[in-house]
Amino acid sequence: MSSISLSNVTKAFGDTNIIKGVNLSIEDGELVVFVGPSGCGKSTLLRLISGLEEISGGQIHLGEKRVDQVSASNRDIAMVFQSYALYPHMTVAENIGFPLKMAGKSKVDIAAKTREIGTTLQLLDLFDRTPKQLSGGQRQRVAIGRALARDPQIILLDEPLSNLDAALRVDMRMELARLHRELKATMIYVTHDQVEAMTMADRIVVLRDGAVEQIGSPLELYLKPVNQFVAGFIGSPRMNFWSAKTDDNGRLALPSGMALSLPCPLGAQQAVTLGVRPEHLVLAPDDGAAALTGTVLSVEHLGSDTFVQLHCGFATRVQTEINVRLAGIVPVRIGDNLSLAVATMDNWHVFDEEGLRVKTEK
Amino acid sequence: MQTSLAKKICIYLGAALLALVIALPVLWLFIMSISSSTHLTTLPLQWWPDSPTLENYRSLLIYAENTPSQSFLYAIRNSIFIALAATGLSVAAAIPAAYSFSRMPGPRRKNLLYAVIAIFMLPPVALVLPLYTVMSALGLLNTHFALIIVYCSILLPFTTWLLKSNFDTIPSDLDEAPIIDGANRLQAIWYVILPIARPALGAAVMMSVLLAWDEFFYGLLFTNDIRAKTVTVAIADLAAGRVADYGLVSAAGILAAVPPVILAFFMQKTLVSGLASGSVKG
Repeated sequence: MSSISLSNVTKAFGDTNIIKGVNLSIEDGELVVFVGPSGCGKSTLLRLISGLEEISGGQIHLGEKRVDQVSASNRDIAMVFQSYALYPHMTVAENIGFPLKMAGKSKVDIAAKTREIGTTLQLLDLFDRTPKQLSGGQRQRVAIGRALARDPQIILLDEPLSNLDAALRVDMRMELARLHRELKATMIYVTHDQVEAMTMADRIVVLRDGAVEQIGSPLELYLKPVNQFVAGFIGSPRMNFWSAKTDDNGRLALPSGMALSLPCPLGAQQAVTLGVRPEHLVLAPDDGAAALTGTVLSVEHLGSDTFVQLHCGFATRVQTEINVRLAGIVPVRIGDNLSLAVATMDNWHVFDEEGLRVKTEK
Repeated sequence: MQTSLAKKICIYLGAALLALVIALPVLWLFIMSISSSTHLTTLPLQWWPDSPTLENYRSLLIYAENTPSQSFLYAIRNSIFIALAATGLSVAAAIPAAYSFSRMPGPRRKNLLYAVIAIFMLPPVALVLPLYTVMSALGLLNTHFALIIVYCSILLPFTTWLLKSNFDTIPSDLDEAPIIDGANRLQAIWYVILPIARPALGAAVMMSVLLAWDEFFYGLLFTNDIRAKTVTVAIADLAAGRVADYGLVSAAGILAAVPPVILAFFMQKTLVSGLASGSVKG
């Protein structure tokens, strides 16, 4: 009953189109993450679903019910704000109980429900404090607690972790994932942090300039990005791109001279963009053919990985440096010459001149 | 930041000077109010009366027909009623007005806001004639109602601006959150915005009461007997007779200051509380 469907939803502020015809359907109990660079309209889309903004066109259904003309307070959606938006003059208990008070519940019911939520979120000890007496993580939990008060079927989260420090963010991420499993509520989560998106989402919606670029599971987006934008956005460090041109027989050769036999149909003299993720580049075996060679510009040793930036003097390049992520500790120094290979042909991504993925045959 | 000793001395000297400038006239008023009228007219003037007397207060506070006490006590009653009613009405109207100016901006609202402030700038003299004509035509002269209406027109722009600029500082998330939580717009204002704006609300009430309490011009022109005369007019009347009893005038002045002081005393907590209350994030 708590599926969400958007059909051709648009939003314009004056003459500026912010959301340009979004179609989306979210299953009951799914956790969907909206991700995209800042200004892509992901928060606006969330606000349209919540009812805080009115749509300019299209339809929104929650379950069977069309809600785009229903006021926000009657959509029965809970929302966690980026700023938490706790009521500063109320105690933690009053904050969590506020939605119940608005729903006209009795004091006894409110007390029972807030205690229950307080127990789940480990907030009982803080019940008499006001928001200013809480730490960032505690405020975050109160905000989530308030959202849970009415047993909502749909919970919207607008960058809920962006004000927390890194360690706390990981904890809260796990807690949110646990809550999602327990509550089985439909959740929409907005973030610009692709790690959050990859780790939490059942499905990710990648947005750019108010339009959906791709919808899919995290691995789908990682393995088969539909276009160059998604390919570059998902994955860290970002995918390496460089431009190339097929020869008269429609074959591609790497700058090193190595021929690529990619399983995708390419025409003769076709300009394409080649992409390969930093983690898919490996050191070439001494006797094997190198896909890329270059000079090391910088090295970052993280222990678990070694990040290398390589300068490969391509004639036709999209970017000057190639990022490489080598597993483990690799003894590389600035100025070294490295030869790299790509493990399998599946790791190559080919995009046509419009930036769309060239699909493999099969 | 470290402040140097010299700087500190300067600050304290300045504060002391300011306190003197404000306090001395009040002190002098008080001394006059406990002096007998003969004392005040004998030369040389004395700093402190030989025999302080509360006679002036007694003659103002103990009710007797056709004495200064009658007009004074009625005037206090009128002033309290008019000031509170005008404040209540104008704040009640200013809250939704300020909220809409703050939260639902648009070119028309903005123009209205500037029109309001422009009218607020007009000197009372410019408006008194048309107002007088209207009030007289409606038969409202010398009534509480006339002054309440006129004072509302003075207070409303002021309170609206004050509250609007305070509402502007409240993040919009804080009126969206209650809406999401199932409140309607009025509930969001009542349960969330107003409690947060309580210090500003307190300031608006305080300033409104003071403005209405101190108003003299309209009070003088629109009232003519104890039924509606306000305390400022009554004090002026005390001085306007054939013989001005300065002791009596001073005592009336001191007494007239008492209600606002009491109000300020009780509002003090509201004014200060919440000024430091937590914002939305850490």
